[in-house]
Amino acid sequence: MTTENGHDALPEKPLIQVKDLCKTFDSNEVLKHITVDIHKGDVVCVIGPSGSGKSTFLRCLNRLEEPTEGQILFEGVDICDKKTDIDRHRQKMGMVFQQFNLFPHMTIMKNLTIAPMKLQGKSQKEAEETANELLEKVGLKDRAGDYPSRLSGGQQQRIAIVRALCMKPDVMLFDEPTSALDPEMIGEVLDVMRDLAEQKMTMVVVTHEMGFAREVGTRVMFLDGGDFLEENEPKEFFEHPKNERLKSFLSKVL
Amino acid sequence: MWEKIVTFFVQNWEKAGVFLEQARKNFVDSFYLNFVEDARWTYLLNGLIVTLKVTFFAVILGFVIGFIIAMIRSSHENTGKPKILNAIAGLYLTVIRGTPVLVQLMIIYFVVFASVRIDKTFVAILAFGINSGAYQAEIFRSGIQSIPRGQFEAGRSLGFNYSQTMIHIIMPQAFKNVIPTLCNEFITLLKETSVASYIALEDLTKGGDIIRSRTYSAFMPLMAVALIYLLLVLIFSHFVKRLERRLKRSDH
Repeated sequence: MTTENGHDALPEKPLIQVKDLCKTFDSNEVLKHITVDIHKGDVVCVIGPSGSGKSTFLRCLNRLEEPTEGQILFEGVDICDKKTDIDRHRQKMGMVFQQFNLFPHMTIMKNLTIAPMKLQGKSQKEAEETANELLEKVGLKDRAGDYPSRLSGGQQQRIAIVRALCMKPDVMLFDEPTSALDPEMIGEVLDVMRDLAEQKMTMVVVTHEMGFAREVGTRVMFLDGGDFLEENEPKEFFEHPKNERLKSFLSKVL
Repeated sequence: MWEKIVTFFVQNWEKAGVFLEQARKNFVDSFYLNFVEDARWTYLLNGLIVTLKVTFFAVILGFVIGFIIAMIRSSHENTGKPKILNAIAGLYLTVIRGTPVLVQLMIIYFVVFASVRIDKTFVAILAFGINSGAYQAEIFRSGIQSIPRGQFEAGRSLGFNYSQTMIHIIMPQAFKNVIPTLCNEFITLLKETSVASYIALEDLTKGGDIIRSRTYSAFMPLMAVALIYLLLVLIFSHFVKRLERRLKRSDH
């Protein structure tokens, strides 16, 4: 899979800068003053107990959830600013959902080509070429003419990843991409994500797959009670956790 | 008991024959009087055409109104805008669904267009269209609400704006879900238009009524009117059922 970010050796400005991000639902404080930088090529795995605000954090990054306070700079632009054209920035931020959310009334090919054609002005030929290339990489080229309901959960999720990739995004956001899958299908989806990480795609992954976080992640972050309590490179993170709550969390899930 | 009846008939064979012959003759005479004489059947035929015309165009007008209202209402539910239009739409729904269609029809004919000479068919289409629009708006809205939130989010996350997401992703799915309900709205409206007689529109019901007033016999013309409505409803219901089955089969 080709990505646009290539191999930049120079450390430059972070791709995403989150500053003082707060999110409250009614009186419930879900995110409390989160500040974090995500650089090009990072594979950030966010782990934490359920209800800790992992998904909310991820959904704030492309404003599917409206932050209550704070700033999110994406490629230097504050996307929380009301004047920012969020739709344009979302084109550069692919998102993969727990429930796949493929469009059931369209064939796989249409699912993959509608956004590039309508939003990026690509011709049908161009869009289908890109789609076919990517479909081949995930081993689903022969399913292009099928409707999503004909596919297994694992296949649907691989298509959902391809759909996001067809827009040539600069970052991919994964919201528990394997949580709705039968166990035997988790592997095929993680493999696709692993390939993606190897091609230096910037990824933010909310996941319960500790194995994936340890092997593929470049940074692992522990979110609990609305803030990141610990972050480290994976080896250190899993072998020498410092935070007490992280220790007790890991002892339960590992 | 049965034996007695049979015996009665056998004994009064001739009388019974006369009676049946008389009944047949009455029926034929009445049929002739009500439908054939002075070509009275044309009242029914012309009325039927008017009824179908009013229903058809009212459904289309209602479709347009309903679609716009549903868009306004769902947009307001999702984004909080547009406020004023949403308030107007809310008022429209409350008033139209809270008052009888006959009253609405008479208000439009005798109040709104009181001082203008105007085609009654047009008034009926307008009144029933505005009325049906309120019900169709709710049909559309429930169709939109039946689409999982994830579909909307998937569209937005790809970079589609609110209306693009509605047009390309939500509406096609919602529309497919509500087609059978919309067709039933057509059937309901077909029967409802019969109250248009109140503004003396010569629709199917009025056609039967005109015959009644000419021939002073109520049974024949009214039964004929009822039968025609029933037949139409049965035919359309049959098509709706077939359509439903086909839509179900193509469910993806």
